[in-house]
Amino acid sequence: MTALLNAGDGSRPLLMGNEAIARGALEAGMNLAAGYPGTPSSEILENLAKVAEARNLYVEWSTNEKVAMEVAAAASFAGLRSLCVMKQNGVNVASDFLLHLAGSGTRGGMVLVTCDDPGALSSVNEGESRHFARMIELPLLEPGDFQEAKDMTAWAFALSEELGTLVMLRSVTRMSHASGIVRLGKLPDRLPRAEFKSDGPMLDPDDGPVLSMPVAHKHGLQQGRIKKAREIFEASPFNTYEGPDRPELLVITSSACSLYSREAVHALGLGDRVGILKMGTTWPLPPNLLKTHLSRADRILVVEEVLPFLEDNVKVIAAEAAGEVGIKTFFGKSDGTIPAMGELSPDLVMEALCRILDVPLPAADLQYGKMAREAASLKAPQRGLAFCPGCPHRASYWNIRTALKLDDREGFVCGDIGCYTLDVFPGGAGTLKTLHSMGSGTGVASGFGKLGPFGLDRPILAVCGDSTFFHAAMPALVNAIHHRSNITVIVLDNSGTAMTGFQSHPGLCVNAMGQEMPDVDIAKICAAMGAKVEIRDPFDLAETQSTINRLMEDAEGVKVLILKQKCALSPEKRGIRQYNVHVDEALCIGEDCGCNRLCTRIFRCPALVWDKEKRRARVDEVLCAGCGVCAQICPQSAIRKEVA
Amino acid sequence: MAREIRGQKELREQVQDAGLCTGCGACVHLCPYQTFYHDRTIVLNPCDIQAGRCYAFCPRTPVDLEETRGLFSREAELTPEIGPVRAFRIVRAADARLREQAQHGGTVSALLSLALSEGLIDTAIVAEGRERFLHSGTAVREPGEVWKRGGSRFIVSPTVAEFNRAAADGGAGKIGVVATPCQVFALARMRLKPKLDSGRNPIDRLGLVIGLFCGFALSWSKLTALLERSVGLDAIRGMDIPPGEGVLEVYLEGGKRTFPMEEIRDCMREACQYCIDTTAEYADISVGSARLGGDWEETRTWNQVVVRSEAGAALLDLAKERGILEFRDVPAGNLDMLKAAAAEKKRAALKNLAEKSGRAEDLIYLDARDRVLAALMSEEGK
Repeated sequence: MTALLNAGDGSRPLLMGNEAIARGALEAGMNLAAGYPGTPSSEILENLAKVAEARNLYVEWSTNEKVAMEVAAAASFAGLRSLCVMKQNGVNVASDFLLHLAGSGTRGGMVLVTCDDPGALSSVNEGESRHFARMIELPLLEPGDFQEAKDMTAWAFALSEELGTLVMLRSVTRMSHASGIVRLGKLPDRLPRAEFKSDGPMLDPDDGPVLSMPVAHKHGLQQGRIKKAREIFEASPFNTYEGPDRPELLVITSSACSLYSREAVHALGLGDRVGILKMGTTWPLPPNLLKTHLSRADRILVVEEVLPFLEDNVKVIAAEAAGEVGIKTFFGKSDGTIPAMGELSPDLVMEALCRILDVPLPAADLQYGKMAREAASLKAPQRGLAFCPGCPHRASYWNIRTALKLDDREGFVCGDIGCYTLDVFPGGAGTLKTLHSMGSGTGVASGFGKLGPFGLDRPILAVCGDSTFFHAAMPALVNAIHHRSNITVIVLDNSGTAMTGFQSHPGLCVNAMGQEMPDVDIAKICAAMGAKVEIRDPFDLAETQSTINRLMEDAEGVKVLILKQKCALSPEKRGIRQYNVHVDEALCIGEDCGCNRLCTRIFRCPALVWDKEKRRARVDEVLCAGCGVCAQICPQSAIRKEVA
Repeated sequence: MAREIRGQKELREQVQDAGLCTGCGACVHLCPYQTFYHDRTIVLNPCDIQAGRCYAFCPRTPVDLEETRGLFSREAELTPEIGPVRAFRIVRAADARLREQAQHGGTVSALLSLALSEGLIDTAIVAEGRERFLHSGTAVREPGEVWKRGGSRFIVSPTVAEFNRAAADGGAGKIGVVATPCQVFALARMRLKPKLDSGRNPIDRLGLVIGLFCGFALSWSKLTALLERSVGLDAIRGMDIPPGEGVLEVYLEGGKRTFPMEEIRDCMREACQYCIDTTAEYADISVGSARLGGDWEETRTWNQVVVRSEAGAALLDLAKERGILEFRDVPAGNLDMLKAAAAEKKRAALKNLAEKSGRAEDLIYLDARDRVLAALMSEEGK
């Protein structure tokens, strides 16, 4: 049984950060959770969905982050506790509603968990969600370890109710995806009743309508809540100090960086010279607490990811309190002591400490480095980012590239967010020429399609996934159709939100909790909008390619081609081979045919291997997913497929 | 003097991107990296072979004409204007039904059917019309199949590509090809058996080449754009360029529409400006429409034929023996008229090449020092 359902008898299981956050929400009696999948946030909702029935929850993967926040807000308006989960750039999508929600205030405790991705390990941006807290005037919490991830989440609901506003809780990849020991609390045993009171006086916060206006009044209330939060944060146990009374250097840090800072100080044996102020409540900062700790040292190092959020805000307090605490020298991102972007690490913090305190950086263990390099080069397989064996996207891109080459008018493809984004990496073929946020491929294509009168007379294509289609591509498609932009939109429909782990979306007949739901038909939507719609199987190369060419040559308006084929890793397909595929060595002519290894050099399915000794292609039986596409591309018909 | 054989990249730079590609198809179906779409050669994926068949067989990569001449002709029969001439004849298919189906005298269909039925070849590669005036090469094995595919084309078909494909089928039978001058020249370059990095030369399967006279071909995209604008593609039933009239006739459901040649020349494929061959000089036998003077309806049922090789001569003799072709006297001055027209095209091409390169001595794929070309150019200078 999952630790999430543990009764709370004092046991201390090992929990992933995201599991700890989910447990915290359960301990707070949260009833509704909504979000949109995105690494590193997805496991929070996935874990909650698993215990939805046992814990009387409603959990959904919403169409996009803005809708998720609206769904969660409704529960709060009805007096329930609700959770909303997304990755950093999801907050951008939700931010318009977020601004108005801050104005209207909330009723039942409502928490927004955002999981940022410093270093963009699983993102195409290095966005920072913390700035929304300051910009939109919301309280912000940042857990510093796994226990805090659970405890702060639980507390955030109570704080939200005390203040009457949404509370943001920000995690990062290393906090969400690493694991630690977490002491569990009790799970509440109550099923609250949802009740939406809205018939009272307009300005009544408990019984009136939930509005962000009159703005002057509501904005004033929100600023009052932030003021109250600042007072509460002065005494928060989540802001901790460890170190000597009067250290030579005060490190101010938060989140995973507090772990890196502790490790660095410990590794350098600087515990008696350096103090660490770990902030858990990072907006609004409690000024008196800061003043107390700023007084300890003249030199301050701020360690955080990604942008200098804490650094800038601490500097404001230090400037205002300079008369009391003295003039400080700051080290951090502004002066370059800490890298301005990317993930931090204990090593980077150690380098910063050594530079500031003028202590020698311990020499790296040469033997260890050598062994690590050897292990990496000899024992770990060399793997770049690439499409999986049997991936429909490899076939789809093959068709798109062939069609573009045949068309020969310098047509190009506007990209979007999903597994198919992998095309831009060295393992792909560089088909995508623009890549931004979800749904942007179609929007940017819509614009390119209107540049003909200015001399840009090239065929314009866009790709988007099935989940992305619902998330944000639909308004862009409407725009293109209404404005007669001559574009071809290719929906790479692999029946799931595959990149993040097969979460459900509106095109499927199931929801996050595994219940049967009506599926929304992409083809019917596009046809109703007024697009010319075709559906093809990308594994049928000749048919798909000629369809793309025909659509590109059609100069009238918006064409939509839905390439439907399930992801090779989908639960329905996984482990089931449609074909047994092998190379007939007598027919394969290797490098001699002038074909020069089309299969292993150009098509590059990981399951197609070049046998250096035999100088022939070979199918790796373990890797092969049995899609049979390679049998269509071999000019010698040497790749044979038989129905499995 | 041997020319260096290069690869796909150089082929693309020197021929395709330079506007020299004739669309003959010689570089297609040798490997999976090159293909044909509409009337264009397409590079699908990069190939890293240094000396490739695509470059070696292309009729527009640098060439030493003396080598090709040496392969095909006896010095005494060589004419500077139209290559080797063993015999010059005016003929037509004896079967009136065949003439009906063909554009002119039906001679090509008659000779090809004969070669198939006599077992001289077991496969024939001919152009086949497809939708929207596009063509492809197609391999046929029955004489009756040849009949169905008569008629002139105005857009290039990748005939040599189909020869490449058919030759790789593992069989041993000989293949006959009906080809335009650029395609015939590509096959001639295969016959030179150039030294290659990899891959088989399909030439051993070649059994017969019937060349077609050709003034120029049209660009598919330009022609269809013109026709779409003027009459609409769906209304068109056929086309012809009657000799001496200087017009393209387009036959419609109810009547015909005539386009002046200036308008049609604007649709000409760029590569055709640089072509020095009107009569398919390296074929076994070359066939064109007759120029008899007098009634066009009578003239159009006849062909003029240049016999070039022993195989060509033998085929024509066989056709006469079997009564498959009708012969008539060659009017006086007919051969000289053909030579004059061919010489004019040669000189225009040499001038166009020199203009393109910007230097009189740089003829891009041709060598200005070649004895025939040098003679033609110096005549022009007089």
